[in-house]
Amino acid sequence: MEGIKTTAVFFSNSSRGDSDLIDIPEIINYTEKLIKVNSVWLQDDINIYSPELVSRKIRKDNIQRIVIAGQNPGMYKSLFAKAIVLAGFSPDDVILASFPEHGALIKSDTEWAKAIVACAVNNIPFENATLTEEISVNPNTLVIGGGIAGIQASLEIAASKNKVYLVEKSGTIGGHMAMFDKTFPTLDCAACILTPKMVEVGQHQYIELMTYSEVKEIRGIPGDYKVKILKKARRMSLSKCIGCGVCAEKCPVKTPSEFDSKTTLRKAAYIPFPQAVPNKYMIDESVCTYVASGKCGICAKVCPVPGCINLDEKDEIVEVNVGNIIVAIGFKTFDASKFEQFGYGRFPNVLTSLELERLINASGPTGGKIARRIQDKKGNWIFSPEEVYSPKSVAIIHCIGSRDENHNKYCSKVCCMYSLKLAHLLKEKLPDSEINEYYIDIRAYGKGYEEFYNRIKEEGVNIIRGRPAKVEMYGNELIVRCEDIEGAAMIEQKVDMVILAVGTEPAADARDIAGKLGISVDRDGWFNELNYIGDPVSTLSSGIMIAGVCQGPKDIPDSVAQASAAASRVLQSISKGTIRKSVKTLSVEQIEKRSQELSKILEEKL
Amino acid sequence: MSQRVNLDLKKELFLYGAKEWNQCFQCGNCTATCHTTENGFFFPRKTVRQVLMGLKKSLQTNIDPWLCTYCGDCSRTCPRDANPAEMMMSIRRYLISVYDWTGISKLFYKSKTLEVTSIIVLSIIVMVLYLIYTTFPSGDSSQWIGPDGGALINKMAPWQTIHLGDWLMAGALVFLVITNIFYMWYKIIYDDKSLKVGFIDYLKPFSKLVKLINPDVKYAKCDEKKLTTYWVLHAFLALSYGTLFAIIVFFLDWFQTDTVYPFLHPQRILGYIATIGLTVGIIYFYTNRTLKNMENSKYSHFTDWTFLILLFFTTLTGILLHVFRIYGLPQLTYVTYMLHLMVLVPMLVIEVPFSKWSHMIYRPFALYFAHLKKMVIEKSKTIPHQPQYN
Repeated sequence: MEGIKTTAVFFSNSSRGDSDLIDIPEIINYTEKLIKVNSVWLQDDINIYSPELVSRKIRKDNIQRIVIAGQNPGMYKSLFAKAIVLAGFSPDDVILASFPEHGALIKSDTEWAKAIVACAVNNIPFENATLTEEISVNPNTLVIGGGIAGIQASLEIAASKNKVYLVEKSGTIGGHMAMFDKTFPTLDCAACILTPKMVEVGQHQYIELMTYSEVKEIRGIPGDYKVKILKKARRMSLSKCIGCGVCAEKCPVKTPSEFDSKTTLRKAAYIPFPQAVPNKYMIDESVCTYVASGKCGICAKVCPVPGCINLDEKDEIVEVNVGNIIVAIGFKTFDASKFEQFGYGRFPNVLTSLELERLINASGPTGGKIARRIQDKKGNWIFSPEEVYSPKSVAIIHCIGSRDENHNKYCSKVCCMYSLKLAHLLKEKLPDSEINEYYIDIRAYGKGYEEFYNRIKEEGVNIIRGRPAKVEMYGNELIVRCEDIEGAAMIEQKVDMVILAVGTEPAADARDIAGKLGISVDRDGWFNELNYIGDPVSTLSSGIMIAGVCQGPKDIPDSVAQASAAASRVLQSISKGTIRKSVKTLSVEQIEKRSQELSKILEEKL
Repeated sequence: MSQRVNLDLKKELFLYGAKEWNQCFQCGNCTATCHTTENGFFFPRKTVRQVLMGLKKSLQTNIDPWLCTYCGDCSRTCPRDANPAEMMMSIRRYLISVYDWTGISKLFYKSKTLEVTSIIVLSIIVMVLYLIYTTFPSGDSSQWIGPDGGALINKMAPWQTIHLGDWLMAGALVFLVITNIFYMWYKIIYDDKSLKVGFIDYLKPFSKLVKLINPDVKYAKCDEKKLTTYWVLHAFLALSYGTLFAIIVFFLDWFQTDTVYPFLHPQRILGYIATIGLTVGIIYFYTNRTLKNMENSKYSHFTDWTFLILLFFTTLTGILLHVFRIYGLPQLTYVTYMLHLMVLVPMLVIEVPFSKWSHMIYRPFALYFAHLKKMVIEKSKTIPHQPQYN
């Protein structure tokens, strides 16, 4: 093999001892069998602090080129570049093979990681070796999830007069953003931004809205997917319902309202919230007594439109053909009752941030008045719009379920900012109250965020560094025990209300949907993008894009931006008329062979 | 007090157990959970901070780790899985080596081989001395075999001879322990120039005598309920150990008799109760450390195991010795007595001044010094520190 540089592959073992991550020993086995590889180095073989020792090893093993493979190979580049120069070769011969950069993150991606190493060994960019052929594309698009990201993506695509099917699991689009009162850092009314978009989606001639529906099955290849959608029975006709609300008024069954974070009750015949799109009533089959036992049916009797309510309606399956799919299924909030020490679920006035968000909102349980939960005659703790006992002091505890080795290790990114926003809103409505924020670190990144943080501090909110250990209840008072690190004091603060700033988690059905789509999720359950930095909307499947929080925690502006980016990717293939086949159709052997051929061509040219 | 930052402090502490120092992001959860935290003692976060910043002098004069009862509340709720309770345990081991002015305990903590070698060497020395100073079995054995065929133990190994050895050993141990405690006082109280301690101040902490004598009292406040069993058995073990220690060193003539007394004789009853205390304690601690079902049993340093193993063999040989003597097996009695001494002496010499055992003596003194310090600070402070927000 004359003329070919002798190559060593170095594996950084940042994933050692972690069974969820890529199987490094298997890749090492594979690498040793590659033709061009002369030796394989592990982290234990190398003194990573001394370029001199590494250069000695380079000379001893007679190596001319080094490939660094692993989770974070850039960390070692400067070391090997120095070492290879000391050994008398060009620093250009240090090549990186980053697994996460090309979408190999977890154990099931081990084969993919092998292909990444093979391309690096042959010194061919991974993208060049994995170019697939182009096939024609169906111009219709499926958007899964009707939150702000799904709405934005649908509107972008529909604006170019291409058909969009928007599938939403609940009875209305809007998602979490519809529940928020204000947005940070501008303190705009969230509904004022969202509602016009929702209405536009509802009326758009190119968007076919399928609420209360789920994706059942996906078959086909990029450019030509056949999707089966389960349209669950609303038991009320979308075309006939006039939204008068008589059915809900007469319905005898009460259940907690999802939209109000279960702080209020709704009926079994209900509309999720007054501005819902479509603005039509529906039956909640899980609590309706007619569905359960065949008795009742009052709603059908009182409905003024004949034939509108059909309590015996069955679910149906619709099949659509699409060329591209955008996944924007969003998130769920962390279950605060996992923290026993904060007493969520035991103490009535310990609320999650989403509950406070509804409490502050003018359409919330108390009509926008900040009130503590009180006991009604039956002994249930409720928010009452009539008897308002405003809290005199409120504690907001950050990082509930985020940055915690026992729960979610990642930072949920939005909690600091929304906690500051909630503090502002509380201070605005209750100027005399004392608001305490307990934080570990304040993460006010981004445009206007640091300024917002300073503004909240100036408004007189106590920002206390220290994570509280527990919340205890004595009588009506809650006591937060915490170390004030900067003030050098132990605090046992009496408060009337505790807000837990819960973090974000992947949606409950994220893994299920990823399985149906054939895309991968990372260890936390967020969808994997093709390239975290360079291509954050594409997946390994070329016809499937991801947008919004389902890819990783992010705030509303980022979600909207990513949704637009995903839409532009879809429009790119639609306007071109073709789409590349999924890179997943290539096997490791094919990629290896291709990279060898390409490198042979290059060598001949030189 | 200006100090030079010692970046190797963290690495040095690796040898004493905990390795998760870099995990800590200083959120203060441990301090807030801890029931020993009072205003003025920001513990354990502040102690971890000293390690992270490499403030060696502050750490060496820090008394807070001794207040820790290892209930494990902080480790259970730590968001970084940094094990603050085990960090405090490691710092206590470190402090034991700091207080030991001879530097021997540092060597034992750092090297397993050295500790095991010293134990073996000591055992051999004891064996040789025993063989020289007792009636050699091949000699005139009729002198120490009684008429009933059992061993006449005071003829075989006269209590006067053993006492002499005991006192020599005890003298050395007391000297080491007292000088170590003096050094501890020097580091914690004397060296701290901000403290002005008058003679009369030294008497004041005795008003809280119960707290000083039994640190286990504090366990009652922890969230972990299993700890009640833990501290009852821990106290039982310590009491049994102390009783037997006192009997052997000071009252051997009463305890080691040639005549076998009836079962209900105080000598036998006391011996049995203390033996039960040791046995139950050893079994309990062994199962705890193997099953790792409590926070304080999850991480055991090898020095912790050495102590338990030596204690186990001491108890075992003690029981066997008793059985052989009662059932009249002179040769076995002779050998077992030797084995008993061979594990007992290293257990006392190695563990008392230099290792695990010494926490039994340092902890009450540390609590005493902590109370003293607190009282002196409170006396000198006229305006309490008020935290300022914003």
